[in-house]
Amino acid sequence: MPYRARTTAFGLSLAVMVLLGFRAVCYAAPGKASTPSTSQVQAPAPVSRQEAAAKLRAGSGSAVSPKLEGLRLLPENATLWGAKASQRFVVMGSYSDGVERDVTSIARLSLSREGAARISGNAKVVAVADGQVTLTASVGGRSASTSIRVSGSEEQRPFSFARDLGGIFTKRGCNNSDCHGSVKGKGGLKLSANALYPRDDYKWIVEGGTYQVLSADPGEKIPRINLKEPDKSVLLAKPTMELAHGGGQRFNKDSADYTTILDWVKNGAPYGKEDTQGAVRVVGLDVMPQEVVLDRSGKQQLLVTAQLSNGRREDVTEAVLYTSNNPEVVDVNEDGLVSAVKTGETSVMIRAAGHAISTGFGVIEKPVSNYPVWRARNFIDEQVFAKLKKFNIIPSEDSGDAEFLRRVCLDLAGTLPPPKRAKEFIDSRDPQKRDKLIEALLGSPEFIDFWTFRFADLFRVSFEQGSPAFTKMYWEWMRNNIASNKPYDQVARERVGGQGYNGPTRHWYGGSDLRRPQDMMAEEVRVFLGRRLDCAQCHNHPYETWSQNQFWGLTAFFGRLTHIGDLGGAGPAVIFDDPAGHGENGGGAKVLHPRTKQEVPPSFLDGKVLAETARVDLRQRLAEWMTSPQNPYFAQAAVNRIWGYFFGRGIVNPVDDFRLTNPPTHPQLLHLLAKDFREHGHDLRRLMRLIVQSKTYQLSGVPNESNRDDRINYSHALPRALEAEVLLDALSHVTEIPETFEDDSGARMPAASRAVDIVFFDTFPSQFLDIYGRPNRLMVPERKGEANIAQALHLLAGPTYTEKISKEGGRVDRLAKAGLTNREIIEDLYVAALSRLPTAEELGFLTKRVSQRASRREALEDLVWSLVTSREFAYNH
Amino acid sequence: MSKTGCLDCSQMSRRYFVKAGSLSLLGIHVSQYLRLQSLVALTGKGTPASRAKAQACILLWLEGGPSHLDTWDPKGNSSFKPISTNVAGIQISELLPRMAKHMDKLSIVRSMHTEEIDHPEATHYAITGHRPNAAMQFPSLGSIVSKELGPRNALPPYIIQPQWDSGTKMYQNYFNAAFLGPQHNPMAIPDPSKQDFAVPDLSLPKSFGIERIQERRSLLKFVDAAYRQKQEIAEFSNLDTFTEQAFNLIQSPAVRKAFDISEEPDKLREAYGKHSFGQSVLMARRLVEQGCRFVTAAGYDYNAWDSCHSKNDSYNRDKLVPPFDQALSALLEDLTQRGLLESTIVIAMGEFGRTPHINPALGRDHWPNCWSLVVGGGGIKGGVVVGASDERGAYPAARTTTMGDVFATLYKALGVDWEKTYMTPIGRPIKIANSIDDKTGTPIAELI
Repeated sequence: MPYRARTTAFGLSLAVMVLLGFRAVCYAAPGKASTPSTSQVQAPAPVSRQEAAAKLRAGSGSAVSPKLEGLRLLPENATLWGAKASQRFVVMGSYSDGVERDVTSIARLSLSREGAARISGNAKVVAVADGQVTLTASVGGRSASTSIRVSGSEEQRPFSFARDLGGIFTKRGCNNSDCHGSVKGKGGLKLSANALYPRDDYKWIVEGGTYQVLSADPGEKIPRINLKEPDKSVLLAKPTMELAHGGGQRFNKDSADYTTILDWVKNGAPYGKEDTQGAVRVVGLDVMPQEVVLDRSGKQQLLVTAQLSNGRREDVTEAVLYTSNNPEVVDVNEDGLVSAVKTGETSVMIRAAGHAISTGFGVIEKPVSNYPVWRARNFIDEQVFAKLKKFNIIPSEDSGDAEFLRRVCLDLAGTLPPPKRAKEFIDSRDPQKRDKLIEALLGSPEFIDFWTFRFADLFRVSFEQGSPAFTKMYWEWMRNNIASNKPYDQVARERVGGQGYNGPTRHWYGGSDLRRPQDMMAEEVRVFLGRRLDCAQCHNHPYETWSQNQFWGLTAFFGRLTHIGDLGGAGPAVIFDDPAGHGENGGGAKVLHPRTKQEVPPSFLDGKVLAETARVDLRQRLAEWMTSPQNPYFAQAAVNRIWGYFFGRGIVNPVDDFRLTNPPTHPQLLHLLAKDFREHGHDLRRLMRLIVQSKTYQLSGVPNESNRDDRINYSHALPRALEAEVLLDALSHVTEIPETFEDDSGARMPAASRAVDIVFFDTFPSQFLDIYGRPNRLMVPERKGEANIAQALHLLAGPTYTEKISKEGGRVDRLAKAGLTNREIIEDLYVAALSRLPTAEELGFLTKRVSQRASRREALEDLVWSLVTSREFAYNH
Repeated sequence: MSKTGCLDCSQMSRRYFVKAGSLSLLGIHVSQYLRLQSLVALTGKGTPASRAKAQACILLWLEGGPSHLDTWDPKGNSSFKPISTNVAGIQISELLPRMAKHMDKLSIVRSMHTEEIDHPEATHYAITGHRPNAAMQFPSLGSIVSKELGPRNALPPYIIQPQWDSGTKMYQNYFNAAFLGPQHNPMAIPDPSKQDFAVPDLSLPKSFGIERIQERRSLLKFVDAAYRQKQEIAEFSNLDTFTEQAFNLIQSPAVRKAFDISEEPDKLREAYGKHSFGQSVLMARRLVEQGCRFVTAAGYDYNAWDSCHSKNDSYNRDKLVPPFDQALSALLEDLTQRGLLESTIVIAMGEFGRTPHINPALGRDHWPNCWSLVVGGGGIKGGVVVGASDERGAYPAARTTTMGDVFATLYKALGVDWEKTYMTPIGRPIKIANSIDDKTGTPIAELI
């Protein structure tokens, strides 16, 4: 985003004062609308337009208030189809302080001619007769226009249960996942969450019965409607509280929703056309505006448009359900008016029958004048900096060489920089030195060790593979993948589709048996597509679009997985897809739906069923689909996961929890990273290079005034706890006492092995690794590096911290005997542990402290202890 | 505004899962004690839990699944004879001669019916009441008791011992607290029968005085200051709090004393049996006496009771049952003498029973369809037989009893509402007494 010069003439406090006054005019709560009488009306506002405009003029004239610089009308080029169709509009004003504000409440709206449409309250245009008309909005001498086309003004919109009743159930919260939309419904009525499955909803309402998790038997059937006496229908009596209703009153008898339902029952409660018969369906939703910035007291009306299956669009702003993901940041009312609460960032979820979308909101303290210019190194920076600028957050300074060096060594190689190299790097004047260091690290053996370790964690290389020989094979495959920089899509295909006797096929072993097909499927989807489908195993996911059918359809790809040979032994056991099937779920190769007991054919996540003729080597078909360039999930999930390693959080966070209700913080960045990854051979090293070369990655961890609270926009480097293994290796590095890893049988790892080199990790017990959160790899590991009291006890009294430091032959021992001055020793210790020299203050204090102690040796040991137990040491930052 | 508050809690849940999966060793519970000390008042007088007879529970965990036919439910297809007990009409296997004298203190449930047939799944089922599910982790019985009853005195509420070895480590998660939070994970301590038994990191190296630690902490404060002035996150101050607590703990003789099994008279140690199981049961009594709420005594090796590959009869006769008979009877005697049996539930079980038939390896295979457990104390009646198996001990003949029923019985004795459900952070309800077919367990009326 190009940097735009700003006026800096006014003092900050004055600016804020005037700004607040300005806001009070523009953004006081609307609601008491004046009744529109002509085609020229003003949208509701608590103060008169004249008054507001006067204050606005006064503000803009005083040189300290942001000036209105432009207007635009949303949506552009609207079309209205059908009798009484309407469209709500929002007027957006862009101001000299870079913030775009909703100025609908002070805008004057007018239509170019009478006849085709009229303006109603709430800045709404209603169709009158077919034709074209122009809508103009004006504020303070500026104006914007858009054309509106009216058609089909004589035609009635056809009824659809899914759209019309499903819409009511969603808007009124009936099918919310903690009311009737919960897995088993509520009070005997089950509705699908968010009206995802209208056919089922129709059945529950018209026929009665409830959902059972473990069987398809609906139990006692009590219809919720009364065709003979429609107004006695339970479906109407409950939400109006004529009958006691646990969910309280959802609407009253005068409401349009009541009439819609009553008319529907009177008409014999039809379902309407099936989708397959060409019923008009909602195929998607759009929300405007996107990524909104609000002042502390700002408000923004949202507009939501439904895309219909016939290509038309329809304003559904008043027919959807709005939820703020964080009501402490923004609040949203029933009609989609969003109000800032306090500074922060969140999103507003919008649900309509069967669909959900969201839009991001940032509430800013005050616009920053003099926003600095940042030159991007690559597209990562362009995306990150553009959002920071929009949200008025100034990035921290560059990290500086020492900070960068420690960070990048730990991130790429899992190791602290050797003290000698650290000094060289910091002293070097080479302008290319960071890039050169990155290349050296990407090509280092430590890189291979470290990323083998990380992927062995993710891919669960463990004792679970049955025999040590199998575990080793699987680990070696992973190591070769990293060493040869194998394209990641190929890695995925080799694992997901693996057949025969080789490394990746060992993944399918689970102790003494193959694992269950549904568990295998869910793991592959989580690891490679970043989605967690597990909830859908037993029931449709309560608030995502994952259905039980999708879950079992994907599971069907694993139904034929089987083996020949001894699973627990070291002998050659072969993995393959048996056409006759493994039979885990009964019925040969069939995977049965657990409720309906019907066979589920292998079908992809998008619902497409694998053609019968293609049903050989099922897992390979799935692997091809997963990694195909047309599948957007794979590359996004991969880049997001790798990103997470370098920043401590994913663009979608947690890194493997992509879902509608968990939107990315930087959607375009995610898209571009995925595109780059796909277009460059799914090259992990290239991806990591892009990341660590970016300015964003190289920012300092020291926050500034504007970014102190930011945790999701990458304005400064956040501290990330070192993984247990990396921390232990770092302790060995500083103390110069390598860890001895011994398994239960007494066998040892080669001398000086790093903790990240352990292959049979689960047979090498380590108290230290356990208390610092080494996962057991029985499920996809997650490491959060949270403090606990066991760590605290261990660092006070545990052998890793006490014995290593004082041991003969260790660093302290060596330095104490080397005839060095205290100053030299302290500097050495600082560089070894923190990759930096002590400050003058630190040096002064510590030299004095050491020289005052009776035992110099003890003093040095205590100093090392304090260095390696410091947060500066235990975190990457 | 509709109620959708649980939607964004999913991250929370995952954090809990991670904690639950990764933190296990000493401290979680000590810390819980320290942090929750102030909350003890909340579980004080007047709540159902405080009025309940039972204040604690000891689980004798029989790793691998014991043969009900050769212990509590003797049948014609066992090589061992039934013997009479001190309760008229109750007969148990001759392998349990000592327990025959204490049958009035425990009741036998002979119609246990559970759903999982292999060790990992069945262990999960027995210890959580739920079948394993890849989508989530369930809190264990001990974690639920820890949460519902809270800590007493200076002790962590939930302890398991001996700690996991490489065989049992795979089950570790099952015994954890899942979304209830790591403060309800069991504190796992080493095998108390070992000569060098000590709870790790609870005492300083011998050469260290407390002044040395103070000096170190003061240096640390200085060394870390420059960095922490620039950057501060919640996790940093969490560790500060923990460090402060750890420092106090290391200095506290009372806490160390609670774990010091060497204070028990040698005669008593021998009465329990100077083996891993016997000492773990004795340690359980010691910890319960000091205030612990739920102690799992798991002194049997990994899969010890899994007699499918070994000769069932000689294995049971020579290796498995005698230490169990010894430790359990010693425990009952000890608790009675100390007046603790009234307030302490004792339950002994494995993850399933074993087949009525003997397999070609002369072993008995896994059998969840019908098996036995014993339970008593804490207001739960002893000397009762609940349900019955058929002639071969293969299927329940009367009064099928589920894990949910057993859990409900324990909760009732402890004053906990057994019909309670917990809501996971993503809004999935979890029954704390989960029975078969999505039903809630019912307390066993014959016992309480």
